[in-house]
Amino acid sequence: MKLPWPSAPLLCLSPALALVPVLVVVVPALHAGGLATWGDFLLGALRPSLEPAVLNAVLHGLQVTLATALLSWALSVLIGALLALISADVLWLSRGRSPWPGRALRVVLALPRSIHELIWGLLLLQVFGLHPWVAVLAIVIPYSALVARVWRDQLDSLDRRRLIALLQGGAGAHAALLTAMAPVMAPSLFSYGGYRLECALRSATLLGVFGLGGLGTELQLSLQSLRFEEFWTALWPLVLVSVALEQLLRLWRLRRGGADRFVAQRQQLWCGVGLVVTVIGSALWMQQLFPPQMGALPLQWPPLPDRAALIAAAGELSWLSLVGDTLLLTVLAAGLAIGLPPLGLLLWHRGGGTTLQSLIWTALRLLPPPLTLLLLLLANQPSLALAALALGLQNAGVLGRLLLEGLEQQPPERRIAIEATAASPAASWLYGSLSGQSHAYLAYAAYRSDVILRETVVVGLVGGTGLGWALIEALSSFHWAAIALLIAAFAGLTLVGEWLSERQRAHWLVGSSPRGTEVLLQS
Amino acid sequence: MLALDQVSVVGRDLPRLDAVSLVLHQGERVALLGPSGAGKSTLIAVANGSLRPDRGQVIWPRQRQGRRQRRAIGTLWQDLRLVEELSVQQNVNAGALGRRSLGWALLNLLLPLDTAACRRCLEAAGLDPGLLEQPVSRLSGGQRQRVAIARLLRQEPELLLADEPLASLDPALVDDILQRLLHQTASTVLISLHRPDLVDRFDRVVGLRAGSVCLDAVPAELSPEQLERLYRP
Repeated sequence: MKLPWPSAPLLCLSPALALVPVLVVVVPALHAGGLATWGDFLLGALRPSLEPAVLNAVLHGLQVTLATALLSWALSVLIGALLALISADVLWLSRGRSPWPGRALRVVLALPRSIHELIWGLLLLQVFGLHPWVAVLAIVIPYSALVARVWRDQLDSLDRRRLIALLQGGAGAHAALLTAMAPVMAPSLFSYGGYRLECALRSATLLGVFGLGGLGTELQLSLQSLRFEEFWTALWPLVLVSVALEQLLRLWRLRRGGADRFVAQRQQLWCGVGLVVTVIGSALWMQQLFPPQMGALPLQWPPLPDRAALIAAAGELSWLSLVGDTLLLTVLAAGLAIGLPPLGLLLWHRGGGTTLQSLIWTALRLLPPPLTLLLLLLANQPSLALAALALGLQNAGVLGRLLLEGLEQQPPERRIAIEATAASPAASWLYGSLSGQSHAYLAYAAYRSDVILRETVVVGLVGGTGLGWALIEALSSFHWAAIALLIAAFAGLTLVGEWLSERQRAHWLVGSSPRGTEVLLQS
Repeated sequence: MLALDQVSVVGRDLPRLDAVSLVLHQGERVALLGPSGAGKSTLIAVANGSLRPDRGQVIWPRQRQGRRQRRAIGTLWQDLRLVEELSVQQNVNAGALGRRSLGWALLNLLLPLDTAACRRCLEAAGLDPGLLEQPVSRLSGGQRQRVAIARLLRQEPELLLADEPLASLDPALVDDILQRLLHQTASTVLISLHRPDLVDRFDRVVGLRAGSVCLDAVPAELSPEQLERLYRP
C-alpha cells in the first residue's frame, strides 16, 4: 500500500504543527505581571517620548543605521558582482582558460557566506574595537559572498550559445561576455540587488541591537530599561523607513513586470553609476556622523589558538546538546515561519482578514528577533521554545509578505472555479489559491529555513540556547580556541543546511510558474 | 430549471450582455452559438453565479440560494481550471468539496480518498483509472479535458454549463467528448460552441450576438440563412 504523502499545499500548512510543542512550553510559563508590562508596551506606541534629548538620539541612530545599510549594501553589491564574474566558469572559458581559479574562489567564498553577519560583527569588534565601520564590514563580508554565489549561479546557468557565436566571430573575450551576457543578467541583477537593500537595513538594525550603534542600540537600551515611550520613539521611524523602502521596491518590481523583463543598457549604466555614488555618498555621511573616530582603525588581532588549546576546548564543549539544540531551534522556528502565514490565511482570508494579517507580518518582520525575544521574556521564562517563537515570528513576517504578494498577483480563475462547485470559502482558498502558490512558496521556504539556521545564532545569544549562546560565552571570556571551534561548527552546519535547502529549492522550482524566477532571486 | 430575466452586464473587462432573458427547462440540451465576443462566456459566468449581473436576475426554482444552488450547477470552463499542483484523484475529488467538510478537504491533500468513486468518474469520462495518482501537470490536453469532466461527474450536478469544451480538441475526440457531456454529466445541459454543424445533437439552439439573444429555435427548424446571419460580420 502506498504511504500517505502530503501534497504541496498541505506541505505549506503542516509545518504549523510546530506551534503545538512551542505553546505547550510557553503558555504554562506565562506570568501575569508580564502581561501588564505588555499592556504598557503597547500603550507606549500611542505616546512615544518627544523629549528633545530622545529625539536627537533617535535621529542620530536612524542616520547611522541608514548610512550603514546603504554603504554596506552598495559595497556588497559591487564586490559581489565582481566576485561573481571572477568565480564564474563562463569568464575563464571565454578566455580559453581552465576554470579552476574560479572554482577555487567559490570554495573560499563558502566560509564568509556561512558565517552570520552578527558573528562577523562580534569578531570584528574584538579586532577593531567599537568603530562605525565594524558594522559595515560585518555586513559586507557575508553579503558580498552571498551576492557572488547567487549571481555566479545565474551567470553559469545561462545559455552560452550566443557567447560562443560571438567568440567564433572573432570578438574579444570581455567584449563578447558583456554583449552576450549583460542583457540577460541585468534583470536578475536588478531584482536581487533591490532585495539585498531590504536585508541590509534589517542587518544594520540587528547589529545595533548588539551594541554596534545606530537605531538598534537605541531600541535595545530603551527596551532593557523598560522605557517603552522611548522605545517607540525609535521604532516608529524604523517602521516608516522600512515600509517605505518595501513599498518602493515592490512598486519598482511591479513596474518592471518581473525578473525576466528587458533592461535597457542605459539603465544598467546608470545603476552602476548610482551604486558608486551611493558608496561615496554614504561613506561621507558616515564620516560626518562620526568625525573624530575616522582615521586608521585600531587593530587588536586576537591570538591564534594552538593545536593543544583547540583539543582542550573541543573536550570542554558539550557538542551533542549544542548542535541538537541548534537544530531543534531551527526546526521549530522554520515550522512556525513556514506554517503560520498559510494557516492564518486559511482561517481568515476574507473581509479585513488579509489586511490585518499583512499588518501583523509587517510588524513582526521589522522587529529584530532578539528584541521580540526580549519582549516575550517580559512575560515568560527563557527557553528554547521561546527563542524559536521569536525567530519563527520574524521569519513568518518575511514569508507572509511573500505569500500575500504571490496570492495578489495570481489570477483568480481557479479559485472561482472551485467556488463554483459550492466548496466552502476555506476549501476554495486551499485548492484554488494556495495550491497555485505552493511550489514557489515551498521553494522560498526551503531557502528561508537555511536563513533561519544561520539566524539561530541571533536568538541563541539572547535566549541562552544552542551554538549561538556557547559562542557569546566564549567571546565574553576571550576563549579563542572555543570561538574558533564554534565558528567552524556553525559554518559546517550552515553549509550542510545550504546544500539541503538548494536541493529542495531545485525540486520545487521544476516546472514552477514564472514566479519561480522571482523567488529564486530573493535568496 | 434556470431562468435569466433581463440580465445585463456592462462596463467590465468582458463582452457585455444586454437584457438577456432565457429559460432553461428540465432535461433540455441547449447549444449556445455566436461569434467570438458575443458574450457566451459572460452568460455562462452569470448563470453559474460566479459573475453578478449589473441588472436583471438569475432565478432558480424553489428559491435555492448560495451553496445549494452552486452545488447543482457544474461548469466546464474553457481553460479547464484544474489544480496543476495536485494529482488526478485530488482534482476529481475537488468536485465533491461542496458536500464535504474542510477536514475532508485537508485529508484529500494527504491520502487518496474515495478511490472507487474517482475511478468510476474517470471511466465515465473515458480516461484510464490507472492515471489516478499522476500529477495533472503531466497529462496531455485531451487527458486534462477528461479529468475536468470527471471532476464534473464527481460533483453530480443537475445542470451542466460548458464553455467551448470542444475548441481545442483533436477532431477525433470531439464526438466522444460531446456524447459524454450531453448524456452522462447532468440532466440539463447548456454548451457554448463554435461548430454550427453539431447543432443537430441538441434539443434547442440559442444564438447570441453582441450581447443579445437573436436566435432561439429547435435545430430541425433552423435554416442555413439564420446561422449565416448569426456569424455575419
